[in-house]
Amino acid sequence: MKLGILYSGGKDSTLALMKSQVYHDVVCLITVVSENKESFMFHTPNIDITLLQSQAMGIPLVRVVTKGEKELELVDLKKAVEEAVKRYKIEGVVTGAVRSTYQASRVQKICHELDLWCFNPLWLLDQIELLYELLEKDIHAIISGVFAEPLDESFLGKEIDKEMIERLSKQQNPAGEGGEIETTVLDAPVFKKKIVITGSKTDYKNFAGTFAIIDAKLEDK
Amino acid sequence: MILIVNMCEDELSEMEFVRPIAMLAEDHVVVHYSQVRLADRRAAEKIIIAGTSLKDFDYLKGKFGWLKKTKRPVLGICAGAQVIAREFGFVLEDFSLIGPQKVEVVEKNKLADGSFNAYFLNTKIITECHPLAVCNDKPCMFRIPEKEIYGCLFHPEVMNEDIIRRFLK
Repeated sequence: MKLGILYSGGKDSTLALMKSQVYHDVVCLITVVSENKESFMFHTPNIDITLLQSQAMGIPLVRVVTKGEKELELVDLKKAVEEAVKRYKIEGVVTGAVRSTYQASRVQKICHELDLWCFNPLWLLDQIELLYELLEKDIHAIISGVFAEPLDESFLGKEIDKEMIERLSKQQNPAGEGGEIETTVLDAPVFKKKIVITGSKTDYKNFAGTFAIIDAKLEDK
Repeated sequence: MILIVNMCEDELSEMEFVRPIAMLAEDHVVVHYSQVRLADRRAAEKIIIAGTSLKDFDYLKGKFGWLKKTKRPVLGICAGAQVIAREFGFVLEDFSLIGPQKVEVVEKNKLADGSFNAYFLNTKIITECHPLAVCNDKPCMFRIPEKEIYGCLFHPEVMNEDIIRRFLK
């Protein structure tokens, strides 16, 4: 089956992509770029890196910009999925949803309306197990945003390795699906080239901060 | 040992609909609905029939005549509830319920009480059954009279794990 994946560039959507590839062909990435920093569905730092990730994987990207108004962004998501159906003949959509019934049910509704399969291969996965699976699957992700106490500046830009998982394990939501952390994947087995950051900017204040990638390039692995 | 009946046509769906239930049932075996044997049912103390994707109706081709003969307690979730309903002569009607919805228990039972939010992913509802709980005045939990066979149209593994734990107790 040809599938498109809702791809944010972070650890969950990358892990979901790799799990899906065991059974099906993931023929495109679908990225919704929200202009609203408070978006429940789509806002994530470094979303533009998906352009480079798409090149690194050799999987085309369907990219749609939304103003991020609460229900209108779902109309834009539907448009993006429709575009993926038109361009790449996808028969289903994959998401990296873990626990969010808000996000998952909205994607389920859109897939139902468009008569598409919907797959959530990380659904209800234990968060610590999820983090260790990143290491097992050789997915290299950095923390690109922190948005909850006691996560501080020292987390920003750091790779999720064993030591970082131990630090994150002390948090209420270690994998950060509640928006506590955002991540950016720089390399994974599905990447034919790896991403190297050549310019970045860290902003942090009162337990909220981002590690913004200003410049990056692809390098042979 | 708990027998978990896998209703998924597509293996990728198993991570979403079977694994979360397997995580709640410590000693379990998972068997696809098309391969459930008498020996599997006899070896099980209890049976859970899992759900599947909204677009998956492959299970409606399955044979579930064993439900009328089994003496084991059974909990059918979503697609599992649909096949129980079908085997016991209830009517399935097209009606979509997707996402969290409020559920109200209308008859005392050992699995749930009061009112609570539950996660729905179904496109069919069951009519003419004796409901244990309703959602928008439509049955969403039922029990087959005089049997330990329950149907649950929502997915308790998402927001109501206690329902599964009480069934397994």
